[in-house]
Amino acid sequence: MSTLQSSEKLSPYHIVILVYMTQFGVIIFSLPQLLSKAFGTNGWVMNLIFAIIVIVNMLLIGAAYWMGKGKSIFVILERAMPRIMLYPLYLFLMFVWSVLGCLVAKEYVLIFQMIAFPTTHPMFFKIALDLLVFWLMIQGIYNISKSITMLFYLTIWMLPVVCFFYADFSWSRLTPFFFREGQPSPVEFVNIFASYLGYELILMVFPYTDKKSKLIKSSIIGSLLLAFIYTYLCIITFGFFSLRQLQRMAFPLLDLMAYIKFPFIERVENLFFGAFLFTTVATVVMYLWSAQETALQVFKRANVKLVAGVLVIFAYVIAFIPDTLSDVQHWLGLFAQLEIGIAFILPLLLVVVLAFTKNKKEAAS
Amino acid sequence: MKNAPIRLRRALICMLLLLFMPGCGDQRILEKLGFVQASSYDLGENGQLEVTITMPKADQNAGQRRDVLSLMARTGKEARVKLTRESNLQLVSGQLRNSLFGMSLARKGLLKHLDTFQRDPSISPRVKLSVVRGNAKSMLERNYPNQPIISRYIEGLLQKESMGQNIPVSTLYTFIRDYYDDGIDPVMPVLRNKSDNIIIDGIALFRGDKYIAEIPADDGMVFSFLRGSFKLGELSIHLSEGEPGGDTVMITSIVSKRKVRVSRSAEGAPEITIQVRLKGTVIEYTGGLSLDRPAEKHTLEKQIDKELVKEANEMIAFMQKHKTDAIGIGIAVRNHMSYGAWKQMKWPEMYPTVKVKCNFHFEIMNAGKVVE
Amino acid sequence: MSNSQTESSLPTLAHTLDQFEDCMDLSHREFPNLGVHAVYLNTLISGAKLQNEVFKPLHDLEPDQLTTLFQQSQFEKQTDDKALILGILSGKAAVFAEEQVYLIDVRGAEGRAITNSEIETTITGPHDALTEQVSLSLMLIRARIRSTHLKIVKLSVGEITKNDVYILYIKDIANMDNVQELKQRISDIEIDAVHDTNMLIQLIDDRPYALFPQILTTERPDAVVSKLVAGRVVGIMDGSPSAFSVPSTFYEFFSSSDDYYQRWMLGTATRMLRFFALIVTVSLTALYVSVTTFHYEMIPENLLMTLVESRSRVPFPPLYEALLMEMTIELLREAGARLPTKIGQTIGIVGGIVIGQAAVQAGFTSNILIIAVALSTIASFVIPNYTMSASIRLMRFGFILLAGLWGNLGIAIGITATTIHLCSLISMKASYVTPIAPNQPYEWRDVFIRAPFNLLKKRPTQSRPMNMTRVKPKR
Repeated sequence: MSTLQSSEKLSPYHIVILVYMTQFGVIIFSLPQLLSKAFGTNGWVMNLIFAIIVIVNMLLIGAAYWMGKGKSIFVILERAMPRIMLYPLYLFLMFVWSVLGCLVAKEYVLIFQMIAFPTTHPMFFKIALDLLVFWLMIQGIYNISKSITMLFYLTIWMLPVVCFFYADFSWSRLTPFFFREGQPSPVEFVNIFASYLGYELILMVFPYTDKKSKLIKSSIIGSLLLAFIYTYLCIITFGFFSLRQLQRMAFPLLDLMAYIKFPFIERVENLFFGAFLFTTVATVVMYLWSAQETALQVFKRANVKLVAGVLVIFAYVIAFIPDTLSDVQHWLGLFAQLEIGIAFILPLLLVVVLAFTKNKKEAAS
Repeated sequence: MKNAPIRLRRALICMLLLLFMPGCGDQRILEKLGFVQASSYDLGENGQLEVTITMPKADQNAGQRRDVLSLMARTGKEARVKLTRESNLQLVSGQLRNSLFGMSLARKGLLKHLDTFQRDPSISPRVKLSVVRGNAKSMLERNYPNQPIISRYIEGLLQKESMGQNIPVSTLYTFIRDYYDDGIDPVMPVLRNKSDNIIIDGIALFRGDKYIAEIPADDGMVFSFLRGSFKLGELSIHLSEGEPGGDTVMITSIVSKRKVRVSRSAEGAPEITIQVRLKGTVIEYTGGLSLDRPAEKHTLEKQIDKELVKEANEMIAFMQKHKTDAIGIGIAVRNHMSYGAWKQMKWPEMYPTVKVKCNFHFEIMNAGKVVE
Repeated sequence: MSNSQTESSLPTLAHTLDQFEDCMDLSHREFPNLGVHAVYLNTLISGAKLQNEVFKPLHDLEPDQLTTLFQQSQFEKQTDDKALILGILSGKAAVFAEEQVYLIDVRGAEGRAITNSEIETTITGPHDALTEQVSLSLMLIRARIRSTHLKIVKLSVGEITKNDVYILYIKDIANMDNVQELKQRISDIEIDAVHDTNMLIQLIDDRPYALFPQILTTERPDAVVSKLVAGRVVGIMDGSPSAFSVPSTFYEFFSSSDDYYQRWMLGTATRMLRFFALIVTVSLTALYVSVTTFHYEMIPENLLMTLVESRSRVPFPPLYEALLMEMTIELLREAGARLPTKIGQTIGIVGGIVIGQAAVQAGFTSNILIIAVALSTIASFVIPNYTMSASIRLMRFGFILLAGLWGNLGIAIGITATTIHLCSLISMKASYVTPIAPNQPYEWRDVFIRAPFNLLKKRPTQSRPMNMTRVKPKR
């Protein structure tokens, strides 16, 4: 039964949503604050810069994709060098991806704990979240993308609610100054860029696409969609709160949502934050699925479910270590640095390897 | 085992999770909670804080529809912890609607006390803040025969008045926002007891987080004209005597548009022009002008303009005297210049000396059903 | 059964009679002057038919005319023993003459008459429903599709019962892969007996452990026709008044024939109402539990005291309160379904009004909860397909439990789990959530809304029809 499923390739539309949902995560809750802290006035403009970086990176990945004619990155690498040499790289990727996945999940859970469940142990929630992730990741990328598309529709309806803030939004609060009163630093830059991460995982979807998927183009559209939504939300936040107020808020978006009031329901952040579970699951599942794909390269004969189970349990155990929200955010920053490295170096490595093997082939012929 | 019974397994897991249920210390079941709906803060003896809270009672048979608890503590949250001992219910602040601050406390600065409001995720940013003339505790403790639930009473009062633009909206969100903005100072309504009722007595002006001065409630409309654009307002103007047509005009359905223009004088000091365009309907006029003649209508408009300009100038001078920029002139000035110049200018020092000119342009949309 | 082991051989009268030993309804009639024997089951045949088709011709016959008689088309010659027995079992008469055996169809057409559709009623449109007698059902469908392209294939299921299953499809529209797949799956079934189409579909669906029905069943011939012309493959079983169509999508279960018989705006509004009903039925009670247990902040001030007052006398936590009420409603529903209609109504009144009123007055539940439970139950009945509606009602209990456990997070977990589950389902190898994933924006107009007919030019992709375009309306 599953043969038909796995032979199907991802369609451009699903790639757009897959990339968008993988990138969109809980960091959006603190993103305006991070931007205002690091870049000060009109920090939302930086979203555009980040979007450009993402696109450049995506084109680099695209180069690897086109040169390798859509072959899996493992095939490309293993053609160039012996597998034993690649094991450390695989294990490293596996480690970084599964830890990133678990940190994102943990951050979500901790924020929810802060809102509504101050004394319940957060790892209880994480069990449920990890079970969902496990259940989804063993179904393969095609079903993952299907589910993520459905989840996308379950979250996107929240966007029009932002109109609610137009009454209290004021352009004059944005100030005419650009990037004043911030303290930009490379660390902050990385922390903020972490909210854009996730797009690099399309490296793993290479073999599940064909010409019709328009992988790179669709991914770029997905990232642009994300950049647009991030920018929109950030503009609203910057015009809704005053700058120094914003700099002091841990989760401006949460306060923003708390401001919404309907005749029949108030304080909708309680409800909306629940809906962010959908995007969180999407992000986590993509990271862990990528880790799983890598693990399957190391343990070729292993059962998919077993590998997935081990990875999820590993991620669960790791999530015990950072205990507080600030710990998690600190770790997230560290691993984001590693991930940015991977996002640039891995495709670069692929391009080099491809160029090298091509030359060799030409020399041989 | 090929097609593993996922649902069965899931059901099993759900059962397992249910076993953890007794550990839910975070349940906040409705009837076991005491909803703090209004709280008040007064300056007590030796720097202590006198905290009073009211919460509604569910029991319809009880004579009182609400509980009022009060005690001295160092901070608001400490008070809540202590107050919980006095109640059979668990006190929660997620339903807080109103917070009242005694005048003496407001003079000493409110930011310290607002910290918990910002920090506690259960408190809504929509909590309405007001200053009470005299003691805030006594306002909460008092029984209002017609209004069994005081928080709803105050909330309704403030809501209605701010809808009509007689007072500015003052919530936790606006206060903190304006406090941290460098071109505007926050404001709050001032409440006072009057026999068995509560009335709005004026608009408290803050410098930073400290109460400085007050604008009488009658001038609230003019204050609103200066503070921003809005729709829907009502204004009664007593025109200066001695001029032809004198007497009172009542205007409703006012649509007001404010623009602040900033120019530089020869010495480089900013000069501000506040331009207010108003449109409205006359529903009462006791003077002698015939409002269906364009020329005379125009005369009345001019008279109104003049009166408003006079009041506005007085108000701005008053605010400049007290060094509080409650109408956000600073924002306009800031947005007019470069960042360096703005920082160099030291706006708070500059503000009292800056020249502000007001322009009002009133347009009578219609004069009601009467033709003279 | 033992006869599966017997070698199939040339049928003889003795052997046939032997097979039917102790079957009191077997009749054996002999025409000594002709040397002809007729064997049939008198419970299955129609006496008049037998008289006209067999006895009368034989009665007036000279022995030498026998061959010419049997050359007529209603007599089919049988050489296989098993087929012969099966023929007799399905209501045919076996005629043994001159070492030959012939079968002639004399099936009695007795059974329930065509009645109104009871489960899927519509306001406008045809009211007739399929019946247990498959020939009647097929007649209803055949009469609606006057085309030679409507093909009907016969299969049988059940090792003992040998029920007939007919597969219907329209040549050149339906994808033959689907037809093949369906045939394959039906013939692969190994089971003693199949009693109903709804049982049959559980034996051939892709995910037997799933919560949701993956194959749509209907008892409306007009719905069957619409599925056929959309390129789907339809199955009908003898003895069951419902037909099924494959492949099906989740959203199909939310559309009713009425949507197409109303003006398109009305149809659209009704369809949206059903999806709204889905949300209400799944989340309303759960939200009540979640809000009263964890998220008291969300209650608006005006509602707060009403809620607290109605909750204040209730002795249980909201979770148990809600489960209790939901159980009561389910009991009422089940009792109403099992009892004769007239008593069922009484149950509705006693249960709905008396228990509800008394429970609130006794301080057993809060009246707000009664409203929530009643609303979500009513909403569940808005879903046209009974199986789907029942699945969703069951799912609701999961949501209530999760809400009682973890509040809104629990509800979000429930929604995510449901979504993952839905997306993992497939129906006849095609995605169950089709117009959303895989994304087919064109089809949204016939799923979430009901666009005017001149905009519905394409057939649904899920059934992978051979011809995508419906006939284009001239407008």
